[in-house]
Parts: sequence; structure tokens; C-alpha cells
Amino acid sequence: MRDSAPTGTEDGVTPTDPAAPLGPGSMLHELTHQARWGLVATRAIVLEAAHPQIGAALITNSTFVAHPWRRLRNTVLSSQRMVHPDERVRQREAARLNRLHERITGTDAEGRAFNAADPETRAWVVATLFESTVTMCRLSGESLDGPVLERLYSEFRAFLALMEPDGGTLPPTLREFWRYYEVMIEERLENTEAVRVILDRLFAQVPAPPLLRDSPAVWAAGRALAGPVAIAITVASLPEPLRARLGLPELPGARTLIHAAYLSTRFATQLLPEAWTRLDTVMAMIDPSSGSQPGADALAGLRRGATKAGALFRLLTPAPRTATPDESTVRSAARFFSEVLDQTGNGFLDWPDLAAMAREIATRLDLDTEDEDRLFTAFADWWRDLQQELDTDGDGRVTGHEYAAATATMTSSALIRVAEVLFDVTDKDRNQFIDGGEYRTLFRTAFDHDTGDGDDDEQLTRTEFVRRFLKFMAGRGHSDAHDRLFAHP
Amino acid sequence: MRGLPDHVACVMDGNGRWAAQRSLPRTAGHHAAEAAVIDVIEAAHTAGVGWLSLYAFSTENWRRPAAEVDVLLRLVRRTIKKHALALHARGIRCRFLGVTDPRIPPPLARDIADLMTLTRDNRRMTLTVAFDHGGRRDIVEAARSLIRDGVPPEQVTEESFARHLPHPDLPEVDLVIRTSGEQRISNFMLWQVAYAEWIFPDVLWPDFRAEHFWQCLDVYRRRNRRFGEVSVPTARGKGT
Repeated sequence: MRDSAPTGTEDGVTPTDPAAPLGPGSMLHELTHQARWGLVATRAIVLEAAHPQIGAALITNSTFVAHPWRRLRNTVLSSQRMVHPDERVRQREAARLNRLHERITGTDAEGRAFNAADPETRAWVVATLFESTVTMCRLSGESLDGPVLERLYSEFRAFLALMEPDGGTLPPTLREFWRYYEVMIEERLENTEAVRVILDRLFAQVPAPPLLRDSPAVWAAGRALAGPVAIAITVASLPEPLRARLGLPELPGARTLIHAAYLSTRFATQLLPEAWTRLDTVMAMIDPSSGSQPGADALAGLRRGATKAGALFRLLTPAPRTATPDESTVRSAARFFSEVLDQTGNGFLDWPDLAAMAREIATRLDLDTEDEDRLFTAFADWWRDLQQELDTDGDGRVTGHEYAAATATMTSSALIRVAEVLFDVTDKDRNQFIDGGEYRTLFRTAFDHDTGDGDDDEQLTRTEFVRRFLKFMAGRGHSDAHDRLFAHP
Repeated sequence: MRGLPDHVACVMDGNGRWAAQRSLPRTAGHHAAEAAVIDVIEAAHTAGVGWLSLYAFSTENWRRPAAEVDVLLRLVRRTIKKHALALHARGIRCRFLGVTDPRIPPPLARDIADLMTLTRDNRRMTLTVAFDHGGRRDIVEAARSLIRDGVPPEQVTEESFARHLPHPDLPEVDLVIRTSGEQRISNFMLWQVAYAEWIFPDVLWPDFRAEHFWQCLDVYRRRNRRFGEVSVPTARGKGT
């Protein structure tokens, strides 16, 4: 970990405000670029989920169970923007997070209101990240002496202050923080549904990262071994009182396992070439669409190796019973519904799905306030259209069959407005054309959808783009199989 | 070994007759062909042949009885799964020529793609399996590709045309072995066999073994290939 004073005076970069000790040179800047930050984020999410307000928000609005890799990537990207050398980037990200949090409100199953922008809630999120960082260092055998710990804490407070104009509700001193932390663990945290979902389902059912999406058998085999280990490590690292409240016993050997895991990450960070242990490298490895550059050749080699391993695994697997065309059709259609439409993974299409889609697009395309508002408004209007057309029983949600059957015959003006916003944000030079390359990048970035090898010189007009977008959202651009299924449910 | 052909192709003929001679269904001949295929791949690999092409299934073969086609497709899949690892371990790059018909079952198409992915970096020998292949169709496709690219007529040469064929790096065939004594081209790699030497052993394909393959190589080495000239004193590929 570097120990130099924060400077932030790179060319073209706004000098760092001494009152906001983030950016290059800060401990947080260094930590959030290390691969082991992923361990911190994973442990912290369990502590966050045990908070009743955050747990309710996660269960009703978040897509982390259905799309955990995307969630991890967004968290990492957001953390890195929050410690970016350029203060304008930090401010922009904080403003974006504020807008995002303000949109996540509702009531939980017991009728208690939750609001992701609540200061106390956000303080707890930052507190879990701080405490998880300290725990990671402690379990890795790194000593954080008083001044270093104080500095780390002040950086996390600065992190929160970026989002909270009045500085947020984290205690001013480290001594007070530990008291606050203990009280939260003892009195505030609960055995929420979100915690149970994370521990029971997330690790056991985590879908393959994009790199291994075409090798589900390889992923399933690895997950069957690594899943229980990941649960044991995470559970063993939780505070004892919370573990007791969640009814999670400490498994024999878990202490040894946890030390081995954290020590390995520490030594890997110290001994391996820096490019290998950077978080960007790992994210690029599991998600080729993230577009990170470091170690590109090594990554390309790894990806080729993984592809070959997947091919060999499938070839060595005995041929299963041949699926009928109908079965293949159902699988393909289900994939479109789960990957594009059903963002929360609950099997239905409802407002949190569309909100998550808008949130995801806004994050990935880094939209400014005006474009983001236009996008959310268009999605909200579209949801109202869908409800009027489809939700006849008024339960606030529609099934995949209902959705596709309706979109095949209905051209929603609100959906056209969604397309127009996407066209506008992609057409950077405002010449009313987007080229084939930009079109494919948009779909890959916003929807994880590969439109195939097209012609980069192709020029798409607004009308043509809208036509293709409507076709995609009706599932017709995804596969013929999807079309057949939904045309004849 | 001096005078070896660089590219050998086999038209695997005689499965049906082999079965008929034994009062077995035609499909039994196809099953028996698997051993010959593996033997020939091994023999070519040992001899140091760089390119081996096998004619497994033509575009015309789809006209055969559905049950026979079905058995053939399943047999190909089984053979791929059974021998993929051994082929890869021997450094053999496997490729397929054709394989465009929608009637090819998706699991088989997946296995074919997987085999190509697995072995794509191997260079010891390249095995090209012509499956759902038609030589004329390849030429028509190349012509279409030229037109799509807007190549002016005066720029179309044999070399530029060949670059639009599937697997443009596939060298011209030096030797074609067609088993069972039949002497026809049967729409096989029409462009690539232009100057090939042909050998027609009487052996039916299920009985064809490494020793027959060696005999064919020996016959080839003793031939005097002239490529239309008066004399070229070697039996190796063009220009050698």
C-alpha cells in the first residue's frame, strides 16, 4: 500500500481538495484498484443486507441475485469513480449515486418504509466497507497502526461526504465509530430475507460470469466446489454476535480456511506482477465486455484457454438425450426473458425490472442528469402503457408470455421515446446518424447483447434505429425461437 | 520422407457394398468405416503428411433414406466425441468443409464447433472433414463473395478467386485416394483437385487400413507429376 500524501495534480486534473482526501495517493484509491477489493465488497454486502432498510431495498429492487457479476462490476466501477483523480468525476459519480438512491424507495413485507437515500442507511453501507477493509487487512496479517487506521477512516468519511453535503452520519472519531458499529450489530441488524438469499442462493446458484457463459458445465463443476468454500469464508469472517443471530455456526476448520484465503490474496497482491492482481484485470477476465486494457494479451490467452477447456469438457461429456425443437425453443425464450427483461430474477416483469434496466443503461452509458431523467421518464411511461395493456388483474406485474404477446402487436410511443433517448446519447456528434460500430457497442454495453458481426460503415438513421430497437425489445431480434414461442404461447 | 504428398484427400467409398457383401444393413458399413478413418488419420500423421482431407458426406447424400442419414449423423457425433481428445493430443487441427445445412442437428453442430475450437492452435497436421460438402457450391459461394466485395472483373484471377473459397489456406490436393474402385470425382473439392494425382484402390473403405494408405503414398512417389508441362522431375507438390 502506498504511503505518499494525496496530490491529484496530474495534467488536466483538478487538484484534490485537502478536505476530501481521495484520489491518487489515498489508501482508498490503492485498495479499490486491487483485486482483493472484491472480497471486501462481497463480505460487506452481507452486512448491508442484514440492515432492514437495505435488505428490503435489495430484495425488492436489486438485481444482484439474478445478475451478481454485473452488480459487482457496477460496484467496483462506482468505487473507482469515487476515488478518481479528477474531482469532477468524483462529484459526477456522487451525484449519480444520489439520483439512483433517491429512486429506490418502497415498503418491506412488514409495511416498514425504506429509502436508499436515507443518511443513516448510507452511513451503514460505508461503515461496512470500512470495517470489511479493516477485517481483510487483519485476516491477511497486515497491521494497521493507529495513524494509518485513522487515515483510512477519514478517507471513508470523505467518501460518504461526497454524497452527503452535510458530511453524513458516520461518527467523527474512530473510537466513536467502533461503539457505533457494535450498537448496529447488536441492536439494528436482523436476519433479513436478503441475507438468507445471499447465503442460501447467491453463492450456490451464482450464474457463470460472461467469460464462461458458453461453458455452463465447467462453471457448474467449479461452483459446486468453490460455492461452499466461499460461504464458509464469508460466514467465518462475520462478527460473532451477528453470526449467532443469523443462526450460522462456525464450521470446523473455517478459521484456518479464512486465514489461508486472505493470506493468499495478500501474498498474491505483493508477489504477482501488478497487472495480474489489479481489479481491472480480473474484471476484464470475467467480463470481456468491460473493455479494460491492462494485460490484454495475457487475458486474450486466458480467454482462449477457457474457451478450449469448455469445448473439451462438452466433448468429453456423454451425449445427453437430444432435445426436441420445442424444448430448445423454450430454453432460448427463457434466456431472453431472464437476461434482458426479468432483471430481478423473480420470474415476472414489473416496475423494479424496468427501473433496473434504466438504472443499468444510465450507469453503463454514464448518462448526465438530463438524459438520465429523460430515460427514466420514458421507462416509467412505458411501464404505464404496459400496465394498461397487460396487467388486467392489477397485481402490478406481467408474465413473459403476456409481455411478448402484447409487444408483438403494440407499438408503444413510450418505448419509442426510450429508443430515441438511446439514439440521442449514442449520436454524440448530433448528426442524426449512428454508425454500425456504435450501434453494436450500445447493445453490448447496455444489454449484454451481441448483434453479430455487422458492417462498421453502416449508417443508421433514427427511424431505422427505432425499428431495430423495437424489434429487439419484442424479443424478435434475439432469436427466431423466441419469436416462434411467443407468437404461439 | 522424400516425395511425400503435402495434401492427401480420401473419398471414403464402399460402405454400402461392404455391408451388402455380408448381408448386413447399409448402416453397418458406416459403423465399420470408423476404424478405417482412425487408421488413416494415424497413418497420415505418422508419415508426416501436413494436410489430410476426408470426404464424409456430400450435399447429395441428403437424398439417401432418412434412417440412413440419421445413423450417419449420429455416427459422426459419436466419432467426434470419442476421438476428440486423442486428435488434440496428437497436435491435429480439425476443420470442417461445408456444414451449412439447417438439417444438421444443433448438438452435432455444437460438437463440430467445439472440436474446431479445441484444436484450432494445433499445427502438426490439419484434418479437413468435408461434411455436407459440394465442390460446385463452394465455387458458387466464392463467386458470390467476389461480387459482394465489388471486385472488378479484370481483377479476378485464379489466386484472388481462391482467396474467397472456404478455408483459403487449404493447399491444392496432391493425391486423392478413392476406395472401392469407383472412378468419379463426385463433386469433391473441385477447385483444389485440379492437378491432383488419383489412385483408385479396389479395397472397400471399411477394409482400408494403414498399409493400404502406405501403398498409395508409395505409388504417388513413383509417379511423375508434370502439371501440364513437358517434364518436371519430381513427385512432390507444385514448384518443388
